[in-house]
Parts: sequence; structure tokens; C-alpha cells
Amino acid sequence: MRASRPGRLRLRVAAESVQSRFDMGDTSPPYDVLSDLSQLAADLGPALRPRGNDELLQAIVDTARVVFDAAACSIALLSEREDELVCRVAAGSGAEATVGLRIPVDRGIAGWAVMAGQSIAIDDVRQDPRFAADIAETTGYIPNSIMAMPLESERATFGVIEVLDRRRGGAEGVDDMELLARFASQATLAIETSRIFSSLGQALFESAALVAPGQELRDALAQRAAQAPRPNAELAELALLFHDLGQLGADERRVAAQIAEDFLAYARKRRR
Amino acid sequence: MKPAWSWQFDRATLQRVETSLPTAITREWAWEGSTGAGVKVAVIDSGIDAGYPGVGPLAGGAVLVADADAPRGARVIEGPHEDLFGHGTACAAIIRQAAPDADLYSVRVLGERLTGRGIVFAEGMRWALANGMQVLNMSLSTSRVEYFGLFHEIVDEAYFQRAMVVCAVNNVRAPSYPSQYASVFSVAAHEGRDPFHFEYNTAPPVEFGAPGIDLEVGWLGGRTIRATGNSFAAPHVTGLIARILGKHPGLTPFQMKTVLLALADNAR
Repeated sequence: MRASRPGRLRLRVAAESVQSRFDMGDTSPPYDVLSDLSQLAADLGPALRPRGNDELLQAIVDTARVVFDAAACSIALLSEREDELVCRVAAGSGAEATVGLRIPVDRGIAGWAVMAGQSIAIDDVRQDPRFAADIAETTGYIPNSIMAMPLESERATFGVIEVLDRRRGGAEGVDDMELLARFASQATLAIETSRIFSSLGQALFESAALVAPGQELRDALAQRAAQAPRPNAELAELALLFHDLGQLGADERRVAAQIAEDFLAYARKRRR
Repeated sequence: MKPAWSWQFDRATLQRVETSLPTAITREWAWEGSTGAGVKVAVIDSGIDAGYPGVGPLAGGAVLVADADAPRGARVIEGPHEDLFGHGTACAAIIRQAAPDADLYSVRVLGERLTGRGIVFAEGMRWALANGMQVLNMSLSTSRVEYFGLFHEIVDEAYFQRAMVVCAVNNVRAPSYPSQYASVFSVAAHEGRDPFHFEYNTAPPVEFGAPGIDLEVGWLGGRTIRATGNSFAAPHVTGLIARILGKHPGLTPFQMKTVLLALADNAR
């Protein structure tokens, strides 16, 4: 794939660098190679990440909203500092305004659910004016009832799924929370899969460190794994564009590839 | 020569054991006349509003905060504190239904960040054990496997101290800690509102069922709120245990399970 070309180039440079060091009899850990590799590793995960993760989360909240005949349903994920919940996808009342909004984890019903690792449903939210105001602040809509369930796997905690003002419970024999648990499991799996790709580079370093023959190289790899750059969001965006291009006809793909080639040639010239 | 540990069973050192278990275990025998007085109960949660009607005064408490520089990853701030969410107050009010005179302690383990949550929960339990709590209410859990060993160690420590750990189980059908272990009283919600109505499940890990669906529970600012969750079922069992311990302070956790099993509404 053309998208991986800069990566291939970097890998080749890295490999040549290792070769020349060995030719010169230098067997010490190739630090500059490790730098290249660590950058490559950071780029790798996002480029390989499965497409449509957000669409899948959106589909989950859309379906949950319909099944519960609810006013709204949303998924909020923990911020990097794990002190806020950031709304990622939403369906129903106030959905557009909700996405991207942040609430501190030490407030509200969603906050308690994710902190306590427990599901909770409150059926007269307005009895707690503070909660009601918090939710209204994030959804622009004051619900009567809220059901919140943490998104947590056996490896990590990701966030929370919330259903506001459900009018219909689960099918016979399945209660509301049990039903929401199924949506929550699906969302958790989707998020975890996506996160695994984001940290793929780091995982590669860690694996390499485990199997590296020499202690010195092993330490160097382990150290790099800890310092590996964060996954490259722009690259993920680019990969997505390439994916979309892939859906077009052969002619469009050729033109797009030509434009990309020209841009790269221009960019390389400017960098010199 | 004797193998290790066998000295404890020498005739000279062997202690007499108080069983206080009659052949027939009845509610009258178990808790009649008890209000839970003298029993130390820790609510490990979001804090307790001591001003909530019928909840205060509290016997004490502490806030646990994640701190990477602290020896075990969390630091303790002892003293009064507020309830961040309302949930701890709800638990306290439920416990008071069966054990109005128990010594309630608030151990707040929820804070500003999720980071280190499992460690903070664990340190909250350790604080409770170090301060002689006889019943620990944990309406909190984590599914994260990395904490399996840590919580296992703490619930074993609790068992060896004869402390009863009561935990709400997670709603997802996967193990959650610390509700998963055999010495823990794991609780899920059943329908019904009678605080003295509870059931025993013959197919654990979830061992007890208690009210937790569509309940009117205490909340912040002296209000009540209508809520559902296994987290409200656990404090019902905590209250009953405190009530029984008020009359039979020497019971071990497994004796307490035997008593609860015999008293369960579905026991024949």
C-alpha cells in the first residue's frame, strides 16, 4: 500500500544503519535505529487500526436507544488523565451538542458508575438538583431517569454507557440492566480492540525486549518501549482517507496516488 | 519433633472455641434484641453525609487518595469528609435499618481521578482492617484481573481477623473483585423492599440476594432518590450481619454464612 511507503523507507534506512554498524564491527545497541523503530512503531498501530470503530460505537448507542425506546443514549470515555469523561458518541435528544463534552469523574451518576465499577439506575434524577444540572449541562436535556454502566474489561476501564429516560425495558425475562450489559460488553470489546492497535508499537517493543538475545539490547528495547512516542493521530486520519480512497474506482485511486506522490516529492525537496 | 504450626494444637495451648451455634438457628436467636451496638462497620464508598436523618453520628473515617509516592500507592487522610456522590450515604442509611446503633465509619475511596482506583480500594480495606472493623461494606468492584492477587490477599487477611467483607457483584457476567472470593459475602439485588427479606443462592459465586431494585434510598442534602443496583443490595446484608454480630460477636465469617443460610427466606 502506498500509505506505508514513508514507513518502509524508514525501516530500510534503519536496517541499513544496523548493517553498516555490524560491518564496522560495532555490536553495541543501535540507539539511532531504535529511535527510528520507535517512531515507526508509534505510526504502525493507528495505520492498521480497524476502520469504523466510531461508527460501531454509534451503531451501539443508536440500537440501544431504539431498544429501550429511550430519549437518549451515549458513550463517554475516560480522558487520558482519567479525571474526566468525554462523550464520544450519542443518539437521541441533544446528541449533537453532547459529543465532545467533558464532565469530571467525581461528579454525577456516570462518574459514580465508572469509579465504583458498578451499574446504577436512578429513576427520579430531578430529586438531586446537582445531578440534574450536571446532566443537563452535558446533554442540554434534563431527564427523569438515567441508567449508567461502566465499560470495563478484565484488562482496562474505558468509560461508561448511559441511557436517559427509557420507556421500554428488556424483552420478557431480561431486565433493563442485563440488556444494557450486553450493549456495554459490545462497546467495551470495540474500544479495547481499537486501543490494542493504538498501543501496538509499544507492545512490539515489549515483545522484542522479551526475546532480545543480549541483556544490553533487551534493556535498550525495554527503555524505548517505555518512551515510545504516542500513536500518531494524523497518520490514523491519513490511513482513513486511504481506506476511503480504496472504495473508489481505479481511475480515482490512480489520480489520488499521483497527487500523493507529487506532494511527497515536493515535501522531500523542501526538507533538503 | 513436630511439623510447623502443630504447637497450636498442643493440649496445653489449645484454646476452647466458643461455638454459640444452637441446633436450630432462628431469627430470634440470631438477632432479637440486637441493634448492632458495639459493632464496627466500615462503608467503603463515596463518603457519608453524617447530617442525613438517622445516619449520624459517625464513629470515624478516612479518605484514601492515590499517591504514587506513598509506600503502597495511596495515602490516608483521617477525619470527617463529605459524600461526593450520595451513594455512601445511601448505603449508610440502609445499614441503619437493621443496625441502628452500629459504629459506622466512612472510608472514602472515590476521588478526582480513576488512576490507581484498585489500589485505593485495597488501601481502604486495609485501613478498615487495621482499625478493627468487623464488617466492611464494599458496594464497589473492579473486573481488572491485575487486582486478583491483591484483593485475594486482603480478603484472606480479613477472614483471618474474623472481619466480614460484604461485596456487591458486578452486573456483567464476569468475575469482579473483591466479590469473587469464597470468604466474601457477595450480594446481588432481588425484588422486594423488606430489609429483613434475603435469599441464599445455592449456585454461587453470588451468594445472597437482598433488596436493590427500585428502592427509595437516602441521598445528598437530606433527600431520597429512587434507585436500582446491586450496590444497594450489599448494605442490606451488611446491616443484618452487624445486627447478628451485636448479639454474637464471636462468630467467624463462615459461621456467619451458616447463620445467614439458615435464616434466608428461601431456606427450608
